[in-house]
Amino acid sequence: MIKTVLEAFSIVAIPLIIAAFIAYAARKKVPVYESFVAGAKGGFEIAIKIIPYLVAMLVAIGIFRASGAMELLVKGLSPIAHAIGMPPEVLPLALLRPLSGSGSLGLMADIMKKYGPDSFIGILASTMYGSSETTFYVLAVYFGAVNIYRTRHAVAAGLIADAVGMLGALLICRLLFG
Amino acid sequence: MLNYVWIGLVLIGVLAAAGSDIYDASTNRYRNGEPFELQYETGPGNGGKVLCTKKYFDTFYGVSIKSADTLTFPATLVGSSVNITTDESSPQLWKTVARTDDNSKQITAKVLSRKGDRVTILLPATSLVKTKAVLDAVISYSEMAVKIALGLIGVMAFWLGIMKLAEDSGMIKIIARIMKPIMVRVFPDIPPDHPAIGAMIMNMSANMLGLNNAATPLGLKAMDELESLNPHKGTASNAMVTFLAINTAGLTLIPATAIAIRAALGSKDPTIILMTSFFGAGLATIAGIIAAKALQRLKIYRIKEEPSGDSPASGDTK
Repeated sequence: MIKTVLEAFSIVAIPLIIAAFIAYAARKKVPVYESFVAGAKGGFEIAIKIIPYLVAMLVAIGIFRASGAMELLVKGLSPIAHAIGMPPEVLPLALLRPLSGSGSLGLMADIMKKYGPDSFIGILASTMYGSSETTFYVLAVYFGAVNIYRTRHAVAAGLIADAVGMLGALLICRLLFG
Repeated sequence: MLNYVWIGLVLIGVLAAAGSDIYDASTNRYRNGEPFELQYETGPGNGGKVLCTKKYFDTFYGVSIKSADTLTFPATLVGSSVNITTDESSPQLWKTVARTDDNSKQITAKVLSRKGDRVTILLPATSLVKTKAVLDAVISYSEMAVKIALGLIGVMAFWLGIMKLAEDSGMIKIIARIMKPIMVRVFPDIPPDHPAIGAMIMNMSANMLGLNNAATPLGLKAMDELESLNPHKGTASNAMVTFLAINTAGLTLIPATAIAIRAALGSKDPTIILMTSFFGAGLATIAGIIAAKALQRLKIYRIKEEPSGDSPASGDTK
């Protein structure tokens, strides 16, 4: 029930927001067409601005992934995963999630294909995927758009959020389905 | 800190690739230069197939692969060479040989001798597997970065247009006022009626509803507004880091991608993860905000007063 309402809402949300914004602007006597075009001009500029940041970030992640260093990291960290009760099958997903959106999506699908989407591991994998965002992509794009290269504690805060998200996913899945 | 992460990813990647290739070469993992025996069967038309037993394959490479007792590959004999096609279910070793050979799924091997249906072949020499993969990654990921950025132009322009409308009409201020009690606590440095607050709320709402297409342009608009309040150009402000920590936690009411994949793989209850991932991402969001607030006080993350007009080459704030 809640799910259907939410799904329907997410579909009509955008047309509704757009209509509401334009109608309100028109009522406030804003020259809507002019104003829209003036704002839209910035789109190209921002997209071009983020290219160097995105290239730097994605290439580093690409090198790391292609080199097989991930497998070594998984081997090294599996005793810790074992100690906190995380199945070794989902450890690569937890490590890849902040680095690569498409990579972790593929990995999640692989895990569910192998163990079944309704198995404990399948539910845990999809929960982990839904419990976080691709941190390094977000950092590169958002900071790139405003030319910020001294990121201070952003990486640390983002990774702490990711780690807590992964552990939270593990905790709730163990409580409900483990 | 992004500096160290970046150096780490690149150096660990290159070293791991080199190490793995040296190890493969020293153990001759791909058995370069050793003849491999296969049984050839002509099929209908041009194509045929080659077969070998799992036992022979395992002994040849000194491994134990997971497969049926007999391995079969579609193949064609052309003059003194044989084209063997691998697929998803082929042994990893041969998939790697095929990919490293000419970036396809086909292995072109030399036929050394043929007696009836027994052929002895020489597989293409395979070396520097990981180094080649790293090289490919450099090129393909650079191209992907540009594709992603250019792909953003359209939605970006559209949402920036809508945001400008909302700003000119005063809609953004109304939105900001509604959420004021929460926002002044999370972002104490930002004036409560500043457009940055409105843009951040729009971004977070889009994220909550799972509207990824809208969330990024709205988020970048918010960053732009936050930057207008930032006295230290080139350095992240406290508000920016808090905003990004919330964004990287990815709190959403509908994890649409994960649900879609679950449904596609035949789950009986694809939406069972609605509650669990909301819990996980909710914890992540709280942790992200607390971490951002706590870390901004640390000495290593404090903003250093620097002369204005410095270049990116001047390095990270340590």
